[in-house]
Amino acid sequence: MTCLIIDRVSKSFGGLKALDNASFSINAGELIGLIGPNGSGKTTLINVLSGHLAYDSGAVSLDDRSIEGLRPEALARLGVLRTFQLTRAFPRMSALDNLLVAGCALGLSQGEANARARQLIEDLSLTRIVNLDAGHLSGGQLKLLEFGSCFMVPPRIALLDEPFAAVHPSLKEIMAGFIRRRHADGQTFMLVSHDMPVIVELCPRTVCMNAGRVIADESTRAVLTDAVVIEAYLGEAAA
Amino acid sequence: MAASDISTNTRLKTEFWVSLGILFFIAVLPIAVTNAYWLGVVIVSMYFAMLAAAWNILAGYTGQFSLAPATFGMIGGYVTGLLSYYYGATAPIGIPAAVIVAGSIGLVLGRIVLRLRGPYLALTTLSFAEIMRLVISNSIEITRGDLGLNVPGIFQSRLSYYYMMLAVLVLMQVGLYYLLRSRAGLYLRAIRDDETAAASRGVKIVWWKTYAFTLSAAISGLAGALYGHFAQFVSPELGLLSQTGIIISMVVIGGLGTLVGPIGGAFLVYVASEFLRDFGGYQLVVFAFLVIIFGRFFREGLWGLLLAVLGVKRGQPAVVQTAAE
Repeated sequence: MTCLIIDRVSKSFGGLKALDNASFSINAGELIGLIGPNGSGKTTLINVLSGHLAYDSGAVSLDDRSIEGLRPEALARLGVLRTFQLTRAFPRMSALDNLLVAGCALGLSQGEANARARQLIEDLSLTRIVNLDAGHLSGGQLKLLEFGSCFMVPPRIALLDEPFAAVHPSLKEIMAGFIRRRHADGQTFMLVSHDMPVIVELCPRTVCMNAGRVIADESTRAVLTDAVVIEAYLGEAAA
Repeated sequence: MAASDISTNTRLKTEFWVSLGILFFIAVLPIAVTNAYWLGVVIVSMYFAMLAAAWNILAGYTGQFSLAPATFGMIGGYVTGLLSYYYGATAPIGIPAAVIVAGSIGLVLGRIVLRLRGPYLALTTLSFAEIMRLVISNSIEITRGDLGLNVPGIFQSRLSYYYMMLAVLVLMQVGLYYLLRSRAGLYLRAIRDDETAAASRGVKIVWWKTYAFTLSAAISGLAGALYGHFAQFVSPELGLLSQTGIIISMVVIGGLGTLVGPIGGAFLVYVASEFLRDFGGYQLVVFAFLVIIFGRFFREGLWGLLLAVLGVKRGQPAVVQTAAE
């Protein structure tokens, strides 16, 4: 069953085509990798899918429903949850409250939200900082916390923008393990990362973008040996 | 228990009970203070405490730095004043009407400034404040302009006003405590910290910001109406920017974004300003200076300073540790 269909979506910033007729779809239960050189449009695509940016043309549908004109909060309620490349959390609220915001806003009662938040904090090994203000956490802990707030209510699809960037290997392993377990339970993910070994390990299928266009969409192994992909990363000579 | 183990609800509960302790002190104060002048000073302090608490909802908990708190007080006072002047309405009609009108204007203003942040929000609310004051001041045929408007009293004795204001303040404080403990408290603080992040987690930004503006304006309107009946007089001076300055300094000195701050700050600043009255205009200079000092070095005002002295550092780690340990 198809979860998300991206159909010839374009988005320009002035003269720059950040997305240029990008098309692909994600099936329910899939864990899909999204790679591409810097400036290839990955984050723009996530911003479009999560309602933070309006697209110029094309169509995006979530479970056969167009997302056009929907605000981020409406999309979050439909189950599109995301992390930000530059981590966004609530610095003057405790780690626990950070998770409670997402839980309550997505319809849990305060009691349920509290129980789930404590479970997530345990799963992500954040127990010792539960009452600490997010502003006092390390960069890695903050990434874990933001990551956790996507799973207070199981999302329809989790869009993870560089969750492993500048994160300590042990925290990275906690996050990767969490993704693996949730994926085994049928959770749908789209994972943006420059960390190829992790992409290879986690994602069976990968989409590669360059200059706003989808240049490859196949099994991860095939994408990484694709001449077009290598050219996009290293230039013509290497290919 | 380590300092970092204090949960948000425990913090909130502490702030709530300390603020009730302050109000209990105010309740027994008339045993010692019987001088009508000083009772009046405390009554006006309670008026400011309500305005300060209302502004704190916006600035301290939602991050919306409005410069119009005194304006909504003035609006509340004029609504009940005009209703009694033209239609002979009594306080039980005038006061609820003041709450409704001030709340409605707050709602409209909240919608207008919805997309504005920081200095833009401050400047827009400042223009709104000045426009409202000038409209009231210049509509001489309706409001009698700078002459002000007489408002009928409610009680004979000053002590009755004293305990009426106190009762409203206690109810307001209880209401705010339950509001902040509820999911609304979470959403407002989330919007204050990062609006984009709050939206991405599903918080209805438009609804909650409008809610905060409306609630804050309605409470200010209530405060203004009660003050009008106590003073038996309202004038455009209630909406002067200097009044807003006093309200802001009360909250910042007491503790922005805490339940205790506005209450403690209002009494301290207003009573202190009575003592500083002999120095004329210099009292504002003193408060402005204090606001800069507190804003820069003590973000949670005297309340935060008190906690620091007692060794309770909110939300900071005792030892830096990684989650992987």
